[in-house]
Amino acid sequence: MHAFWRSLARNRLAIAGGVVVVCLVAAALLAPALAPWDPHRPSIKQALAAPSAAHPLGTDQLGRDVLSRMLYGARVSLAVGFVSVGIATIVGLILGSLAGYHGGTVDAVVMRFVDLMLVFPSFFLLLAVLAFLRPSIWTIMAVIGLTSWMRVARLVRAEFLTLKEREFVIWSHAIGASTLRIIWRHILPNAIAPVLVAMTLGIPAAILTESGLSFLGLGVQPPHASWGNILNEGKDAIEIAWWLSFYPGLAILVTVLSYNLLGEGIRDALDPRLRQRGR
Amino acid sequence: MAVLLCAAVVAGCSNDLDGAEVPGGGAPAKRAYGDTLIEALLADVSGLIPNILSDSPSYEVGGLIYNGLVGFDRDLNLVGELAESWSFSTDCLDLTFTLRPNATWHDGRPFTADDVLFTYETMVHPKTPTSNRESFKVIERVDVVGPRTVHIRYSKPYAKALQSWGLSVLPRHVLEPYVRDGKLREAPQNWKDPVGTGPYRFAERRAGEKIVLVANRAYFAGPPYISRVVYRIIPSQPTIFLELKAKGVDAGRLNALQYARQTNYPAFEKAYRKYRHAGGGYTYLGFNLKDPRFADRRVRQAIAHAIDKRELIDGVLFGLGRDATGPYKPGTWAHNPNVKTYPHDLARARALLSEAGWKEKNAEGLLVKDGKPFTFELMTNQGNEERRKVAEIVQASLRDLGIGVEIRIIEWASFIKEYVKKRRFEAIVLGWGIGPDPDQYEIWHSSKTGPDDLNHISYANPEVDDRLEKGRSACVPAERVKHYHRLQEILAEDQPVVFLYFGDALPVVSSRVHGIVPGPNGIRYNFPEWYVPAALHRYTSG
Repeated sequence: MHAFWRSLARNRLAIAGGVVVVCLVAAALLAPALAPWDPHRPSIKQALAAPSAAHPLGTDQLGRDVLSRMLYGARVSLAVGFVSVGIATIVGLILGSLAGYHGGTVDAVVMRFVDLMLVFPSFFLLLAVLAFLRPSIWTIMAVIGLTSWMRVARLVRAEFLTLKEREFVIWSHAIGASTLRIIWRHILPNAIAPVLVAMTLGIPAAILTESGLSFLGLGVQPPHASWGNILNEGKDAIEIAWWLSFYPGLAILVTVLSYNLLGEGIRDALDPRLRQRGR
Repeated sequence: MAVLLCAAVVAGCSNDLDGAEVPGGGAPAKRAYGDTLIEALLADVSGLIPNILSDSPSYEVGGLIYNGLVGFDRDLNLVGELAESWSFSTDCLDLTFTLRPNATWHDGRPFTADDVLFTYETMVHPKTPTSNRESFKVIERVDVVGPRTVHIRYSKPYAKALQSWGLSVLPRHVLEPYVRDGKLREAPQNWKDPVGTGPYRFAERRAGEKIVLVANRAYFAGPPYISRVVYRIIPSQPTIFLELKAKGVDAGRLNALQYARQTNYPAFEKAYRKYRHAGGGYTYLGFNLKDPRFADRRVRQAIAHAIDKRELIDGVLFGLGRDATGPYKPGTWAHNPNVKTYPHDLARARALLSEAGWKEKNAEGLLVKDGKPFTFELMTNQGNEERRKVAEIVQASLRDLGIGVEIRIIEWASFIKEYVKKRRFEAIVLGWGIGPDPDQYEIWHSSKTGPDDLNHISYANPEVDDRLEKGRSACVPAERVKHYHRLQEILAEDQPVVFLYFGDALPVVSSRVHGIVPGPNGIRYNFPEWYVPAALHRYTSG
């Protein structure tokens, strides 16, 4: 563990990513205190105002403050990122450990189901599902989560396949530990490292997906702001109001990049071979 | 084509009427034949025989290929097209057309009175898949009196008798077998090689890509000046705008944002001429009147008072629209300017709501009656930024009153099919495109509330029914005006929908095209007379 932190601390990009992520989470949590204006109240006379002291990031087509909307949008993006990755991780852990631990028929069935899910281009699967459901932040979290657990399931299964043959697992069997206890207390803690990396890398993917859906109008519904739908509104006015496209685009870019840097840093730090090379 | 459900995209189906403004003015130049005009179409045509179609691209293209017996001029007066003259008996039952002597079909055969009879037979044939049958069912019989004379006998006076003959006249010698078998939609003329009498003839079509028309040199009113018209199918308003700026198309429509803020630079103003005239469609906030909350007129009136129409017109249309007080466009003959209006007045709105029993507020500031808070879902279609903005402004305005609104935006086809037609909505933001005639029986009559009918809001008012029936059967204009003026008074009082605004139509045409004279009928009514002076020709063509 100590080696992990030392290795992570030496990776400057990962640290930068981590700092940005922490700042974003803080900004999202403190949005009501930080936002200078009501993010939902139209003010037609202020429509499409350029960035100024009163509106540091300008206003949108209905005269709402872009900074305030972006702060509230950060809540949506981060919430979608965390919750949907949480759902994906839980589903992936359960199915992956079932398949890996039991092997045989269970493994075959679960893995074919994983293949089946991977066959669908996930974005189109999302679009199809959302056409039937009422779009809201909850359905989006659920749908993204339930269409992105396959990677975790595969990782967990692979870890289980090797771990279940190890001596400590065999000994646990020998002294009569229950299956659940073996999975929960002995194998899972050893399999968690790659899952942690997958989670960190899954969050930016979920944020991007949510932005894409909101851009297409299938994400969070108006008047609620998300970076994707601010960007969508901005595209019609891109020539006269660059701030409507630039800032949400920048926010998405920085967030996704930070998570990826952090995720890669964690991955490298967890990998003993890379750690050695680093030394 | 009395009413069109105004479709997804901005100005998708405006009928371009009334009061025009021309920025600048064309200097007179010598008329010349030649050049090509490239137009943008938002969707491919669904066919080439407009009589059996109902989408606006098909009507736009079909309008150049076919003629009606009559048409509308610049000021929306009825004028003869294939008909040279007509006489209408004083009891409004006998209509006699005298046809032009020199009109021919695109295949060279002469146009005769028999083709008019054939068009009538087509429209009333039970197997013809058309939504325009109503206007022809009131006809008792059609007689061919001579090769150039047709007599039509109506079974009862019908207000739209004359203008109903504006529909495309079809050739008997080409289409008769298809009509007989009920296969007009499958006829080859519906997808290539249509035969009409109009100023342009069909040249080429690539599905989903383009339609090319060439000038009909034998056109009875003289050949059109522009030699070729190419319709490019570009199914996205922003792409059309980019194409306009890149000069990939010569004509198109702007939205309010583009007109007001994105086209005011010298290069654009030099290359194009922008027009602005009152559009033929209005946007409304409609309620499902089966919902007991909205069945109470005071609630609807309160909502009308809470919405600042000026804010809507400025915010959504950049001022390029007019306040709607009813379903008729200001300035047209049926419009009644003296009806009840609903100025922005929150105090009045609150008083009306409390009269209706919405007095208390809960912890979230929402009005409560019988323990239930006043919240409803407001639906509109996807892809129409204008309506989305209207919904958001309405949402914020009603929040001040203590009414919670949840917005739901749904893709156009399923919005209409699953929600509007099945009446599965609480409130909607939608638009109606209206024709030049004030008959709106289909929209407001209480008998028109079936799944495929257009009275989506389930409005029923016996006096409205009565006025609508009388208005469409009276044939003296002065009498019709009386009925329609009263109709507007009732609708204004009742507010079955909150009439929001008429958006202006904002067409734009390359400045090399001359001869455009905007009027109440928009700009396209005299298309064959548009020309490009020889020095300005951009494309060579035969």
